[in-house]
Amino acid sequence: MNNNEQDNVCKEEVFSTLFSSHSKTVFNYIYYKFGNEEKAYDAVQEAFVKLWENCGKVTPSKAKSYVYTVANNLYLNVIKSEKVRLKHRDKVVTTTNESPEFLMEEDQFKEKLQNALDSLPENQRTTFLLNRIDGKKYKEIAEMEGVSVKAIEKRMHLALKALREKIDGI
Amino acid sequence: MMQENYLAKWLNNELTDAELVEFKKSEEYTSYVKIKEASSTLEAPSFDLDAAWEEHKNKRNKEQPKVVTLQPYKRFLQLAAAVAVLLVASYFYLGTLDQSISTQYAENKEVILPDSSEIVLNAESSISYSEKNWDKERNISLQGEAYFKVAKGKRFTVATESGTVAVLGTQFNVENRNGFFEVTCFEGLVSVTFNNKETKLPAGSSFLVINGKEVSVSGPDTTTPSWVNKESSFKSIPLQFVLNELQRQHNVIVETKDIDTSQLFTGTFSNTEIYVALQSISVPTQLKFKLEGNKVVFYAKNAE
Repeated sequence: MNNNEQDNVCKEEVFSTLFSSHSKTVFNYIYYKFGNEEKAYDAVQEAFVKLWENCGKVTPSKAKSYVYTVANNLYLNVIKSEKVRLKHRDKVVTTTNESPEFLMEEDQFKEKLQNALDSLPENQRTTFLLNRIDGKKYKEIAEMEGVSVKAIEKRMHLALKALREKIDGI
Repeated sequence: MMQENYLAKWLNNELTDAELVEFKKSEEYTSYVKIKEASSTLEAPSFDLDAAWEEHKNKRNKEQPKVVTLQPYKRFLQLAAAVAVLLVASYFYLGTLDQSISTQYAENKEVILPDSSEIVLNAESSISYSEKNWDKERNISLQGEAYFKVAKGKRFTVATESGTVAVLGTQFNVENRNGFFEVTCFEGLVSVTFNNKETKLPAGSSFLVINGKEVSVSGPDTTTPSWVNKESSFKSIPLQFVLNELQRQHNVIVETKDIDTSQLFTGTFSNTEIYVALQSISVPTQLKFKLEGNKVVFYAKNAE
């Protein structure tokens, strides 16, 4: 048994560790859902202030799902999703020997992917991006969303299918 | 045949070799590879962890007043505790003080004592007794006039300025006013001590002292004092005391003009109807009266 698990969330070290390891993902999670950076940032603050206020009642092992739940509940049915605008890491440096045509094609493809992502249902997009950008395992996403791993696999499958169909213009 | 959700499995490298071969043959495969590669270069909006942490710390401090707001309540509790202590203390202190009950002009009051003895106070009278020590000694001090129905038990003492009345269980009336001291026994036996001389007063007899002199009187015709039934009765009593009683019962100021107030009066007047009462006094004494507001003037008929 991990001794740290027995620690209290009220302890500053425990709390700041939780903050560093989860605040970014909470931010991304809300952003993928609603496409609003400001609201995503507020959700982080709200979730962690709530966690601090209830630090005596929430065990460190439950803290992670607690902050996702608080952040998620905050905007439940309140805001409509806006366009999810994502950036792309610049890979040009490592692919200097690619032809300009290829690079242009690649850019066009990314543009299509971006548009396709925007048109995805919220839960499919969130699942897809948490996996692709944040490297979250299906099991972790399942915990965050409060559904089974199989449901996440289904969303992932449907997301990929829809993205391809959209991009290939079917 | 591909398994359920095979795209998700493929992305997670969970396909069997056979499935992977089959999937690679499909025409959509290249598109899926492109999606997989392109999506791996995606980035979420920037998030400044340090700034977020600082802001969190600030918010946490702002939440502090929530806790501070509990302080006034705490102060209130301290105050309430202090008040409670005071109340309890004063309750016990007041408990040791004598209980006293008094009546104003034209007012009667009935008092039930701890042993269920009854006292009816006539107008402008007061009694006091110790509730705490009542079980040990039944002592009452009296000013004015009161009718006692004493429950059987230990010696019951009524102390007045003029004399002391002691009984065991009986009904009697004590009146002690300026220069007037009367005890009437209606039931049982009453012992009256006046000027260190003890007089036993059996039921149906009265003891009267006017201006320090014992006056022999006949006993009452009734079983309770007349004032208990809203009347005041007198037997050969100087007019002065009758008029004083009239003042008390009707809350009026009585003045006399050229009349002898030492003349004896025998009669009864109403304690509720002032006009009837004035007639009851004026007719047998052959006096005239004038009632103006709460002031009554008696004068001789021939004075006009």
